[in-house]
Amino acid sequence: MPLVASLQTKALYALDRFPLPMSKPTPEVYEQGKGMDAHNQVMREIRSRKEASYDPHEPTRVWLDEDNTPTGVKNSLTIILNTGGCRWARAGGCTMCGYVAESVDGGSVSHEALMNQIDVCLEHESENADEPAELIKIYTSGSFLDEREVDAESRRAIAETFADRERIVLESLPDFVDREKIGDFTQYGIDTDIAIGLETATDRVRHDCVNKYFDFADFEDACAEAATADAEAGDDADAGIKAYLLMKPPFLTESEAVEDMIASIERCADVDGCHTVSMNPCNVQRYTMVDELYFNDGYRPPWLWSVAHVLEETADIDAIVVSDPVGHGSDRGPHNCQECDDLVQKAIKDFGLRQDPTVFEQVSCECELTWETVMERERSFNQPLTR
Amino acid sequence: MTDYFEVHERDGAARVGELRLESPVATPALVDDVLEDAGSLWSADRELPEGDESTLTVLPHRSFPGGTAAEVQDSFAVDHPDVEYPSVAVVSSETATDHGSDAYAVSDVQSIRGHGAALVEAVVSVRETIPADTALLFSGVATPRNVALLAYAGVDLFDETAAVVKGTEGRYLTTDEAYFLEDLEELPCSCSACQQPREEFTREDCAEHNRNALEAELGIVRRRIRDGRLRDYVEGQARHDQWLTAAMRELDSQWGYLEERTPILRDAQINAATEDTLRRVEIQRYADRVTTRYRNRFKNPLVLVPCSATKPYSESQSHRQFHDVIQWRAHLVSMTSPIGVVPQELETTYPAQHYDTVVTGRWSEDEKEFVAEVLQRYLERNEYPKIVAHVPDEGYRDIVGRVEDALDLEITYTVPAGGHPTDDESLANLGSALSGELKYSKREREHNTVRAIADYLLGDGAGDDLFEDIQTTSRYPKIQVRDGEETQLATMVPQYGTLSFTLEGARRWVDSDAPTKRVEIDGFVPHGSVLAPGVVDADEDIRVGDEVVVEGPNAFAVGRAEMFGREMHESTRGVACEVRHVEEK
Repeated sequence: MPLVASLQTKALYALDRFPLPMSKPTPEVYEQGKGMDAHNQVMREIRSRKEASYDPHEPTRVWLDEDNTPTGVKNSLTIILNTGGCRWARAGGCTMCGYVAESVDGGSVSHEALMNQIDVCLEHESENADEPAELIKIYTSGSFLDEREVDAESRRAIAETFADRERIVLESLPDFVDREKIGDFTQYGIDTDIAIGLETATDRVRHDCVNKYFDFADFEDACAEAATADAEAGDDADAGIKAYLLMKPPFLTESEAVEDMIASIERCADVDGCHTVSMNPCNVQRYTMVDELYFNDGYRPPWLWSVAHVLEETADIDAIVVSDPVGHGSDRGPHNCQECDDLVQKAIKDFGLRQDPTVFEQVSCECELTWETVMERERSFNQPLTR
Repeated sequence: MTDYFEVHERDGAARVGELRLESPVATPALVDDVLEDAGSLWSADRELPEGDESTLTVLPHRSFPGGTAAEVQDSFAVDHPDVEYPSVAVVSSETATDHGSDAYAVSDVQSIRGHGAALVEAVVSVRETIPADTALLFSGVATPRNVALLAYAGVDLFDETAAVVKGTEGRYLTTDEAYFLEDLEELPCSCSACQQPREEFTREDCAEHNRNALEAELGIVRRRIRDGRLRDYVEGQARHDQWLTAAMRELDSQWGYLEERTPILRDAQINAATEDTLRRVEIQRYADRVTTRYRNRFKNPLVLVPCSATKPYSESQSHRQFHDVIQWRAHLVSMTSPIGVVPQELETTYPAQHYDTVVTGRWSEDEKEFVAEVLQRYLERNEYPKIVAHVPDEGYRDIVGRVEDALDLEITYTVPAGGHPTDDESLANLGSALSGELKYSKREREHNTVRAIADYLLGDGAGDDLFEDIQTTSRYPKIQVRDGEETQLATMVPQYGTLSFTLEGARRWVDSDAPTKRVEIDGFVPHGSVLAPGVVDADEDIRVGDEVVVEGPNAFAVGRAEMFGREMHESTRGVACEVRHVEEK
């Protein structure tokens, strides 16, 4: 799963430009259980319909924004590195993720090409920002810490490149998180967060609905690694985990999705080392299982009321909880009734920056009654109750 | 085993049933109040609930919404435990199987709502997979406008969910529309929710009204099924939404599914008021049987006449006038839309005397084409020394002309252009066309009538196989069939134009070459009703209303089917047939 919401915004409209690996499962691919086999088989078939090409010397995407961090709201430079793409997606991958395009034929991108991509990003920053961003966020649609995607040489060079920044966010699956790799960054005094696409704290939902292979225990292990790296870095830098959650994977009803998110946020916040939770409402991306369901009237993205409700319910927990719904107000993105989508979206973003639940008292709409009815009456054998 | 659902009345694929809970529920009905959902296995592992007889428990499920790939459905399929309480299994329309529960909920309902062909494909495939005496549940789709069609297709259980959700969205539902509440200056309803000033009427009230309207419509649906008249209602009701009309028509193309479930006789009238009436099973089946099973046994000329509003035709003014001229010198066949052609022997046979049509004198091309095709097939199978068409212009003459050309026949027309068949001139022409022809006897007429009915009911040639040497007594239309020793074999039933056999007649039937409709039962001696659990096997071509031979180790009986054949041996509850005569072995 691509982790960043705004990344998905672009993905929503631009995905077709990107190539998809005609992937076959490899022996190293972690496959377990026949449900996973089936999901992977279907996702491979769906992804194989997509055709495109790309340039390994250009990043997938780069943009400037601002973000809430444990040390306050910061200007950010977000980079989507093209690293050969998500290995899991080649085997089939997650049911909602269409963002597996940034891959190369043959599978890997050279050190030189990766550094070219970084140069393009720095150029973008210097052209568009008054001063260097305090926060750098690097995503790969895979794992930045997986050395098959970004080798140690490139990782260290990138750490050095951003040595003068305050904070860096690096996307990775939990398997690849270890204290030494984090140390490559903290040694320069950069606060380092590892962004993990946990999706949900419920293993059953992560496995069966999302088709993501790791367990919550693996996430806890990664948090422990980050906590150790944090201790080892001493006062020079902080290290921690930012958990990315997915609201409403396929097959869940609106109320199940909401319950799953509330429980997941609570569980994440309880894990030492995890200081931020980013909750991303599912949107319908092309060439995914979710798209197949959506096309056949079998899936509706979550209501923005659900997002607001979860944020309100979890406002008093001890972690930063943010959400930046992508594609809000469109049929393929999280939406209410069209009338109130922009207002509710704005409240959700405000909450992300200020963590103040009273922002939701400012918004109301007639469609809340419908949302409440859906929460009460939707069952998996009659969903989706609304479009 | 279906312990908690029983079908009481059938009308095509629709049924009035009973959810046998602590407080029984007559279906088709809303089941919100009695449905308990044990929950989805996608979100959590679930305990098997305790369940009880006051509720219908949805067993733990993994629902597959529309668009779920077959591989995913296969690998995530769940086992449904056997439980001792009323239960529902969730199935998808693509991978439904028999789980031994009382009812089945279809998981991909939202994908088939609004699509006629998809709805029909889903209902038919699920219905053909689950036992006939189990209930089918559609959650989250019923509205006052669509519920009659859904019940007609074979859905038994609904909920108020869709109607309530629509209400909260400000949609005011009636049997004909989904109005935007804001557009309504007055509320077009007098239910309790609507008994208030328009400006005080909220979306909550709208949801309440929608629920009331849905309940009321279900009441009409149940009444219509009990009366055997749901199809007539649906032909009109479905007009209010295109996809519903499409679904009705798609269902008409599912001949196997609908025909098996359609009774061969009814007390109720058929309203022939739309083009779709032509495609009804009852109409198509009559046309099929008349052109493939029935055979004319008279040697006399054929006289084609128009139908009459009075049924049976022979009791009408016009047909009396024709008869006064013909005087049993010709075989009379009436042409009619929507039935096709009705030979005189079958004028009482359902639905020949059970329909009423809209008479304007204007025939549609569909009607002409249908009647012409039936007439052509009829004349390909039956040869006559002479054919007289005593029909007016309107559509009749056109139809006869088409068949005359197609089969290269020579037909005598006896009604002058612009004339009417009962005009003096027309009747005189008819008389002269038949001059010199000889009358057939009452005996021949009655023998041929019961033989024709046997052909129609049992199969091609059955009349000869069964009734080669008989005598007939009593007056038409209550003809009694007896053998050479005066033993009664059967009686003609004038209300439906069928035969009811005596034990002797049933034995003759079993011994004959005519196809037998046989119900095999356990070692008991049935009196009155044979219940489904007692049925060991039943011929698949048995239809509701058919005459059946019931036989087991200890009994030989004859009676009338109350279920179709497959339903008899699949069902665990309900009356399979009513026995008329029985003999211990």
